[in-house]
Amino acid sequence: MLHGARVVRAAEALYRVLLRAYPRAFRERFGEEMALAFRDATRAALGAGGVRSVVALWFRFLVDLLVSVARERVAARRAEAPGRRPAKRFGSGASPRRGDPMVAVFLQDIRQSMRALLRRPGFTLAASLTLALGIGANVAIFAVVTAVLIRPLPYPESERIVVLRHHAPGLNLPQLENSPGKIRLYRAHARSFSSLAVVSGRERNLTGGDRPARVRVVEVTPEFFDVLRVQPVMGRRFLPGDAEPGAPRVAVLTHAGWSSQFGRAPDIIGRVVEFDGEPTEIVGVMPEGFAYPTEETLALLPMWVDPNGPFGTFGLSVVARLAPGVTLETAANEVAQLQARIPEIDGEITADFLQRAGWNATVTELKEVVVGDVATTLWVVLSTVGFLLLVACASVANLFLVRAEARRKELAVRTALGATRTRLAAGFLSESLLLGLAGGVLGVLLAVMGVRALVAAGPSNLPRLHEVNVDAVVLLFAVGLSVLSGLAFGALPLPRFLARPLAAGLREGRGDTGGRDRQRVRQGLIAAQIALSLMLLTGSGLLLRSFQRLRAVDPGFRPEDVLTVGVSRGERQGRNDPTGFYRRILDEVRALPGVQAVSVTNSLPIEPQGANGSSFEIEGRPRPEGALPPVAMYIVAGPGYFETMGIRLVDGRLPEERDHEGAIPPYVWVSRNFARDFTDGRAIGERVRFGNDTTWLEIAGVVEDVRHFGLDEEPQPMAYLTLNTDAVNIDLSVGHLVVRTTGDPMALAPSVAAAVRRIAPDVPVTAARTMEQIVSRSMAETSFTMIVLIVAGTVSLLLGVIGLYGVIGYVVTQRTREIGVRIALGAAPASVRGMVLRQGLALSLIGVGIGLAGALVLSRLLESLLFGVSSRDPLTLAAVTALLLTASSIAVYLPARRASAVSPMTALRTE
Amino acid sequence: MTSDDRNPRDLLPLSPAVFHILLSLVDGERHGYAIMRDVEERTGGEVRLGPGTLYGAIKRLLEQGVVEELEERPASDAGDERRRYYRLTGFGRQVVVAEAERLERLVRQAQAKKLVPRVDTV
Repeated sequence: MLHGARVVRAAEALYRVLLRAYPRAFRERFGEEMALAFRDATRAALGAGGVRSVVALWFRFLVDLLVSVARERVAARRAEAPGRRPAKRFGSGASPRRGDPMVAVFLQDIRQSMRALLRRPGFTLAASLTLALGIGANVAIFAVVTAVLIRPLPYPESERIVVLRHHAPGLNLPQLENSPGKIRLYRAHARSFSSLAVVSGRERNLTGGDRPARVRVVEVTPEFFDVLRVQPVMGRRFLPGDAEPGAPRVAVLTHAGWSSQFGRAPDIIGRVVEFDGEPTEIVGVMPEGFAYPTEETLALLPMWVDPNGPFGTFGLSVVARLAPGVTLETAANEVAQLQARIPEIDGEITADFLQRAGWNATVTELKEVVVGDVATTLWVVLSTVGFLLLVACASVANLFLVRAEARRKELAVRTALGATRTRLAAGFLSESLLLGLAGGVLGVLLAVMGVRALVAAGPSNLPRLHEVNVDAVVLLFAVGLSVLSGLAFGALPLPRFLARPLAAGLREGRGDTGGRDRQRVRQGLIAAQIALSLMLLTGSGLLLRSFQRLRAVDPGFRPEDVLTVGVSRGERQGRNDPTGFYRRILDEVRALPGVQAVSVTNSLPIEPQGANGSSFEIEGRPRPEGALPPVAMYIVAGPGYFETMGIRLVDGRLPEERDHEGAIPPYVWVSRNFARDFTDGRAIGERVRFGNDTTWLEIAGVVEDVRHFGLDEEPQPMAYLTLNTDAVNIDLSVGHLVVRTTGDPMALAPSVAAAVRRIAPDVPVTAARTMEQIVSRSMAETSFTMIVLIVAGTVSLLLGVIGLYGVIGYVVTQRTREIGVRIALGAAPASVRGMVLRQGLALSLIGVGIGLAGALVLSRLLESLLFGVSSRDPLTLAAVTALLLTASSIAVYLPARRASAVSPMTALRTE
Repeated sequence: MTSDDRNPRDLLPLSPAVFHILLSLVDGERHGYAIMRDVEERTGGEVRLGPGTLYGAIKRLLEQGVVEELEERPASDAGDERRRYYRLTGFGRQVVVAEAERLERLVRQAQAKKLVPRVDTV
């Protein structure tokens, strides 16, 4: 709670400063007690509900402060009998009474500013809400960025934990994990790591907890606890013997698993549960906050890696901790050099082949792997809201300038009475600072709500989302942002008032055109706002187009009207007569009203867990000397799969009943690109053999390519196996039923689940989803970024257009007399209208020009998020430009029409 | 002017905040933060006083002689020595009673109109 104590102290100091706003007598009598009460309340709130309740409390206290300051000031004034009232302090308010005169003057400024702001609640509200919007959005996204990108992972010296991977661009393999052979190599020779562990994420059926459940587990070798340097809070870690084949099975629960599956039972250690039917003793519980690789992991199971395992099966992840004194570069160099020793492990692979394949290894910090490509999205979103804040500041600066104009006479009077310009400037600044802080407080409130909404509704693939909160660092960021934005727009009107003789303000009686140069700054702000809006809208437009393109991609199957339900039998049970088991379920489901077709697979398109990749050979087509065998992905397609999913047959025949019941020879179906790449398009009748299998499978048909691994990924060569093919190492632990329905698929979900339960009452069934939901979820990152950009773009467009309308409207008001004279002298209304229109459109054209230049530069940052559209897409740029010009024309046309309708007589009477 | 020759009804009606503060002090002396907490707990969080409202009210209540500040801290207090304690004066107690009676009369009138069910007090 060290942070907490510091926050409380800082807040109390700030509150004491704010207390100076009360009348002196009141403050001297009660100030100390109020500060104490403030401190006590803050501490209590921090203890009870953390930062969120503290922020809520401060907001309440700020309102309380504003209201009661006003009340006490009125009361104090009433109490002063007219005779006893000291000589009225004009303008600068001369003599600070005691203490440091600088401080006293500053405090007096704050008091005056507070009064000035409270006198104009409309302006104050508009300005602080606009700022709150900008600051709130920034604070919320900053909270996400610190949690996801900046804060270290919750392990000791986590920056020294690395992940080892391989890639072979020459073989079109951009990323490979590790194989038993590689692990043997690293364990024997790598000196850069103090410990090295193998991990593999799995799903298991857990029985023996509160209720049977399908849970995420991570299999780890015992060194895992040394690599992460996290030990169980209860019980013990895995010991080397735990992973040996034949050893009694043990498991360590995560805190999440202990809570969700066992209700935090205190006697959990020693309890025996079943993972996929295997009796397993629970030997430990990990501490709270341990979430590897995500918070969804509920248990750790020991993993054994065969020390004599093959080189070529790459499916194991390796995490390692750098040895003391070893840098990431040193480790990367050593690992790269070790690749040259691969031929020592596998005699079939030559050094020449490795070179042609471009074979290499990478050593990456674990955090980078966990965060992944979300980093780009987050930086884009953070810069988007940064732009929004700039627009908000520009808007408030504009409001501020208008007010400064209106107060010229007041300021002139104060100068005449002896106030120095510095004092007046200080007054401006303290007013804008107060506004900035008010915006900040409201903004933090918005941010807290925003963060809550984000955590609830953010892209589900955002890693470390559970770590996002508004902490001391984020609050500090908010304070900094508030002060900076306050200073930014408060400083704008200053140069003018410091440079020009203010007394001139007194002589300015009539609404003349003398304000023209004063308009410069405001016009510049408007142009800047339009430019920023154009950049934001360009980003939104590009993402919108990508989104459309993604939606328009032909996935190779028809996702509409398809319902999916997962049936998790577990790895061992899954191999027990899959044909008979699923036949009974499929028959039961097919009999339901509203079901058009039904089938089962072990891997769904777009969410391809369960798919396996393997090397294969084709009979009679020997591979070239020294080349690695070709690799294809394979999944299980149950009876009627292609018909249910709407995957088109290109060549050959569709599977028949007997194919799923052990037809001889066993048949296989392949994708169009498989046939094209590996059989020169003549696939039918060819025989393939996967991995180390001995059984040949005959290709009976070719189907359309499916984007099985994501809409934005090119389709990969695929093989479709029948349910009973036991030739290859198939993952049958989960069967996904796919149901094509005649009506709304979700409406059928309960009856499908009930049908499964009738056949297999004790098998966990996962929640039903539609294929369309799965497809849109895969676009969550694009759509999330797009929505943020669209909202930011729209808000800034609105602020920009309102600003433009305000400025032109103001110009027209200022020039009413001049315009009246022109009309009286015979100017046609159309020419007056044209004059105003020209002025306004010139402004928006300047903004559009700057914005286009900026958009061309900045949209390149979006490139990795775009799909099928160039970052300089002319259509998007043209559409956005047209939108901005149309909106600003409307904003300018209204005051222009008013100008042309000016009646000369009225105008001349205007003073 | 002593509190005895004033009519407590002259101060009625009390604002809700003031009434809650006085209710807090019926049980004995309290310091400011304790009053804030008591009011919040008693009303289930419905009424929350900020320091400005609280001390603004205390200032007026002191001036009106409804509450007074303790000369010495109660022996039980181990907290911050800058804390000051307040308690009801005799006149203050009359004011709370008068306000409670006024509210009760109001409620009775509402009950007579069958707006709220009548609760028989024992």
